[in-house]
Amino acid sequence: MSTTAPLEGIRVADFTWVWAGPYCTLQLAHLGAEVIRVETATRICVTRLLPPWADGEFGFNRSGYFNQYNQGKRSLALDLKQPHAIDIAKELIAKCDIVCENFAAGVMDRMGLGYEVLRQIKSDIIMIALSGYGATGPESHYVSYGPAQVPLSGLSSVTGYRDWPPMHVGISYGDPNGGLHGAVAVLAALHHRARTGRGQYIDLSQQETTIAVLAEAVMEYTMNGAQPPRDGNRVPQMAPHGVFRCRGDERWVAIAVRHDDDWRRFADLTGLPALATDARFATLAARKQNEDALEAIVGTWTETRGPEEATRELQTAGIPAFTSMSNRDLSEDPHLNEAGFFVSLPHPEVGIRQHAGIPWRLSRTPTAVRRAAPCLGQDTDYVMGEILGYSADAIQRLKEENVLN
Amino acid sequence: MAEQALSGVRVIEYGEMVAAPYATKLLADLGADVIKVEPLGGDPARRHGPFPGGKPDPDASGLFIYLNSNKRSITLDLHSARGQDVFAALVADADVLVHNAPPAQMAGLGIDYRALSQRNPRLVMTSVTPFGLTGPHCDYATTDLILWNAGGVAYLNGGGPGSGAMPPLKTFGEQAGFQGGVNAAIATLGALYAAARDQQGQHVVVSIQESIAAILELTFEYWPYMGLVASRLGVKPIQPLDFMECRDGWIFLCCIEEHQWRGFVELMGTPEWASMELFDNRLTRAQNWDALKLLLQDWVSQQSVTELYRAAQARRIPFAPVSTMGDLLHSEHLKTRGFFATVAQPGVGAVTLPGAPFHFSQTPWRLVTPAPRLGEHTTDVLTRQLGIAAAQVDDLRQRGVV
Repeated sequence: MSTTAPLEGIRVADFTWVWAGPYCTLQLAHLGAEVIRVETATRICVTRLLPPWADGEFGFNRSGYFNQYNQGKRSLALDLKQPHAIDIAKELIAKCDIVCENFAAGVMDRMGLGYEVLRQIKSDIIMIALSGYGATGPESHYVSYGPAQVPLSGLSSVTGYRDWPPMHVGISYGDPNGGLHGAVAVLAALHHRARTGRGQYIDLSQQETTIAVLAEAVMEYTMNGAQPPRDGNRVPQMAPHGVFRCRGDERWVAIAVRHDDDWRRFADLTGLPALATDARFATLAARKQNEDALEAIVGTWTETRGPEEATRELQTAGIPAFTSMSNRDLSEDPHLNEAGFFVSLPHPEVGIRQHAGIPWRLSRTPTAVRRAAPCLGQDTDYVMGEILGYSADAIQRLKEENVLN
Repeated sequence: MAEQALSGVRVIEYGEMVAAPYATKLLADLGADVIKVEPLGGDPARRHGPFPGGKPDPDASGLFIYLNSNKRSITLDLHSARGQDVFAALVADADVLVHNAPPAQMAGLGIDYRALSQRNPRLVMTSVTPFGLTGPHCDYATTDLILWNAGGVAYLNGGGPGSGAMPPLKTFGEQAGFQGGVNAAIATLGALYAAARDQQGQHVVVSIQESIAAILELTFEYWPYMGLVASRLGVKPIQPLDFMECRDGWIFLCCIEEHQWRGFVELMGTPEWASMELFDNRLTRAQNWDALKLLLQDWVSQQSVTELYRAAQARRIPFAPVSTMGDLLHSEHLKTRGFFATVAQPGVGAVTLPGAPFHFSQTPWRLVTPAPRLGEHTTDVLTRQLGIAAAQVDDLRQRGVV
């Protein structure tokens, strides 16, 4: 084992907020970078203001949403609207390798922190802007909020029940998806910088990164001129293929019968005589044609057992199935707990709480969440003193002047 | 041509469908040299479609073309000892191996980090798996539907007020695979950065279930923070934040801040009902959404999507069209940004697909070669890269190894 995380020694100036940008820098923190959030009490990050709050009690440092996506980072309280604050930001950037921001296009430029300025300060800086629409193009100045990204990107038009309106996907998917693609881009730029010594600017549009994961729908249109229909949980290649009600309140199991082999085993296992011998279900084409009847029969089997029981029985027979997991199911899942996925680190205001951790493991270099999410301004003294070399007196003065706020 | 960010990085992929192939696509499009190792029957994505004219053709699957352009393809039977020898020789010379073979099959296919890294200590090997390599679910059979539910996103979607009978809902496409893929690309690049420093590789294991469970927005924490099960059936705490039908398509109304609502009211010509106490703020608008929805629907149904979208955005109201695929392909914005790319696919013709998901100022994303035909580069890679004599390649072919 090496004791050095992959990005040990890499420092990130993090001007992001809400979810897309913070999710990008979270990946860098997971890999060992020192990520310094630049934030202010005068305009508080949206996620610090949103529930869930620890024990239902509101507070800037008590939001599970914020504390989930800012694990492992530090927080510098710096009000960029105050005189001299921009100079301090520049001093910080001079000591950083990466600058990440997800303001609306043009905001960093107007603050005097655009890429052309920053590369004068640090010639090999890597800067990434993650915006809803990207930094160029006729809609680049449009306002973009997470929930609106899912419909904008085309995902809602193909997601939903048959004959129902377009639907959301349950989360503001464009945000994390954009953040993850942003992390890929930054890491690739770091490789290039290691080889050549040169930094660069990266413009990422969440709309585009979401379309990137919708390729099947895009190509159905470009190759055949057709918009794929909304068809619930059904797909052309498999049947039955759905989420079925189980015993209990809002308990469901997902089942995917991939091919005729799965189908024969499914009929054997469930012992539903209608299934094994019924010509309506003998082939995929027949099952697709009689899918309503098929799903009704499958539902009579699932509703007599809990989803875990159904999953066990089906998986033992080699048939893909899984409980439709709630947040509580995930939290208590023996597999995820055994895998060490969850992280519970002490936090000064909310104590020890369970958070989702890192979805991957590296065998040699340690990648662990190293600290709980920071309280607002928790690391101001450290950043100003140890990284930027300010005296304790100077830091105190800047606090009194509300620059460090 | 300008050099690319990952020029000089050599990658071997033994992947199928989306997860591993998307990880290596992200690397290939940034300049990595990716050799895709396919079983003799080919990657199942070749049979997935969409196909031109709906006619199955292993060299014309849209999903395959999208995920595998910029790569080279060789076929190899990893169930045979000689196939595994060739595979080991390929990997010995590579920086990265990415695969998504099931854990139970890995050893039998010769995908064994310890053995492979003995010949190539700087190898980064990435295993993209549904549930990791150990634990009670590691050998479970899965598909996209299964993993989207196992990760917890499906449970948050579907249903809605008055529709509790409808099941949790999958998101379109192969989203679990894409999430596994982009997470695998991040972890791989991180390990590669470490390997560049000390010439030591490592084994990276990516769990797709965990990749999804990590993106539940604020919902996961409702349990550890407040002891609440996040429900898809909940009424939204603020409104308008909903889909509505215009005269020519759907729009998404989005008024998160109060000034956005005031702007929307002005846009509607300040109707009298808008001053009712019932709709005073975003919380009361949500509580009275059933009534408000009808009033809004009445007005919205007479508008055109594009005009309402533009008028709203001109007032800094973050409405968005419910874009269809046609809308995206015809978007002036995306055209100006040069987003969609076109590849000349042999046997198919010009195919338009999603292009650069990020713009680099120095090292561009680039689409260079079309997706390979099954085994198109087998002879070339075996003879030129591994130095195997042409006669021996013929022998391997006759024995069904390649």
